[in-house]
Amino acid sequence: MQKKKLTPYLLIAPYILHFAMFVAFPVVFSLVLVFHRWNIISPMEFVGLGNFYRLMGDTFFWQSVINTLYFIIIHVPLQLIIAISFALLLNQPLRMLGFFRAVYFLPVVVSGVVVTILWQQLFGFENGILNRLLTLISLPRVGWLTNPDMAMPSITIMATWKNVGLYVILFLTGLQTVPEQLYEAADLEGANAWQKFVHITLPMINPTIFMVLVLSTIGGFSLFIEPYVMTGGGPLNRTLSSVLYIYKQGFFFYHMGYAATMGVTLTGIILALVVLQKKYVERNT
Amino acid sequence: MKNINAVLFLLTILVFTSCKSSKNSQNGLLYWSSNNTDEITYARFIVEKWNKENPGKEVKFQPVPEGQSSEEVILAAVVGGTTPDVYSNMWQGDVEYYARAGKLVALDTLDGFIEFLADRCDSAVIKEVTSRDGHIYQIPWKINPIMMIYNVNFLKEIGMAKPPRTYSEFLSMARTIKEKYQENGRTKKWAGYAEVQVTWWQRWFDYYPLYLSASGGAKLVEGDTAVFDNKYSVATFSFLQKLFTNNYFPTDRLSSGQDPFLSGTIATRFTGPWEIIHAEKFKPSGFTYGFAPIPVPDDHTGQQYTYGDTKNLVIFKTCGNPQLAWYFLREFCKLENEVEFLKMTNQLPRRKDLMTDKLFAKYFKKNPMMIPFALQAPYVIGPDNSPVLKEVFDVISAEYEQCVIYNKKSPESAVKDAAHSANLVLMQ
Repeated sequence: MQKKKLTPYLLIAPYILHFAMFVAFPVVFSLVLVFHRWNIISPMEFVGLGNFYRLMGDTFFWQSVINTLYFIIIHVPLQLIIAISFALLLNQPLRMLGFFRAVYFLPVVVSGVVVTILWQQLFGFENGILNRLLTLISLPRVGWLTNPDMAMPSITIMATWKNVGLYVILFLTGLQTVPEQLYEAADLEGANAWQKFVHITLPMINPTIFMVLVLSTIGGFSLFIEPYVMTGGGPLNRTLSSVLYIYKQGFFFYHMGYAATMGVTLTGIILALVVLQKKYVERNT
Repeated sequence: MKNINAVLFLLTILVFTSCKSSKNSQNGLLYWSSNNTDEITYARFIVEKWNKENPGKEVKFQPVPEGQSSEEVILAAVVGGTTPDVYSNMWQGDVEYYARAGKLVALDTLDGFIEFLADRCDSAVIKEVTSRDGHIYQIPWKINPIMMIYNVNFLKEIGMAKPPRTYSEFLSMARTIKEKYQENGRTKKWAGYAEVQVTWWQRWFDYYPLYLSASGGAKLVEGDTAVFDNKYSVATFSFLQKLFTNNYFPTDRLSSGQDPFLSGTIATRFTGPWEIIHAEKFKPSGFTYGFAPIPVPDDHTGQQYTYGDTKNLVIFKTCGNPQLAWYFLREFCKLENEVEFLKMTNQLPRRKDLMTDKLFAKYFKKNPMMIPFALQAPYVIGPDNSPVLKEVFDVISAEYEQCVIYNKKSPESAVKDAAHSANLVLMQ
């Protein structure tokens, strides 16, 4: 009897241990850090709400939040539209369907750093392939990563290319759950393809849209590798994402308490956004 | 951030498990070298020699465990209390941070240290490595002076027999290169390259050596005050700004492609002696290069200083026998051993007899490319003593980007704003 009680706990022990060490402990510890100044090697110093006061006046942090929101505003709709479009195409009875599905998923599994370095070559101002193509057709070159107004949209294009495959798969799954008879009934009523898409497909895949929206919003807030490798947060801090700024404060300058404060604040912002999305996007189907 | 926490935690575990704690080494020592292959060879050489000559006082050696950077691993070891007794690759700019936290042994409290240091270094170096509390926590060990490498054939092609010495000469060279190698509005070759990223340590290869060169080795930080708001910083920013705004330097990142210097895309670069090994290995046939001091303002007089990328020797507080560790380090820095170090690593020991001792002379005769660096060696500066020096470089980088790369500010206001931000950081 005793053994029977112990076995389930032993079975879930690896997960519990992992959760305790890599999720629960960092979360609780960061909440403690919020009220302290700590440079890792010296003893912690209680500063009360000092880190929050500093945060309020830190223009770099708020710029990083605006940059991240800008990224999300372009990235999430772009991702949704492209992912739905590809999913609709891949839901047709095409030849070599499996091959195409795999190809679109490939960038998702390739290392982010590798993808980023590859795109850096594409985006080069003087010798990048994209600019060479533009000059071939007599168009001016674009400072993809060097023009402050273009750098974040360029990163967004790359991030969309990298992640869209995952959402294509999710939408494909959603599309395959739409009952065929709804389309047959619409055909009988004389609905065209666009009407069927707007009035049947979109409402039926609403839960998938909501899930993709939430996942890509949270993913958008985690923007890190792309600016870290490609631009270092420049030009003129225009690609400085919140997570990159937190990383710099925490692991370049060892302001652990302040970095934790920014992390907790960012979590609050994400939570508020997801609640808003839940309220306005999710519908009961 | 969750991943980063996990990495730091794993690193701590790695450091904890991969090394024997020095607390157990009362009769011996644990020494970590850098994980550079040549330095490992030297570490092995010196440890074997010591162990042979000092039975019962065994030194165990291992390269610093693998991590994203050795600085990160050392930090994790300090946090985990698993530091080695002796470490041979501490960036001078980090020493004040660890010293202030009480993690390093004050070497000036050990027998024979002061005499040793006076014998090894001149008074300026001793002053430079003396901490804010008056103690000395490091032995100035090795330097890699930042100088200007130039492509000899490239300069010949544009009619220059010798490398540019002043800002005017450099700008004139850059203008010639731009005019000669521009096709259909596309620049194919540049005078040089400086990293456009704002990462703080990138300024070691542009602003900082130029500032030291212009100012005769002035400080960035004195006590808790930024002291770089001066005519030398303005001149440096102004010079670099001209290079970027006139498209003499590319705003593209060239570092991810093939080596722009060896491929003949750039004529010069500010770099250290490590470039020699790299160039000898990868240079195309017929490629010739040389080294020259960092350019200076036209009205510059006096000695040309540069940044030295100084790495030093330290003893951690976890060491059970600091006096023994100090004796080991004294052996480490003995003349005949450092000659071997130079031969094995092509890195310069920071000692005043580098160009006068005949043992070193033999090496330089065999390796003439290293002579410019050895001549520069007495005139290198290490990072100032400040626990927030990285942040000072960071605020300089932010203003550098606005002024130099994007021409959004005048050099005067960029330097003024950088000094103001640096003072805020220093007051924290």
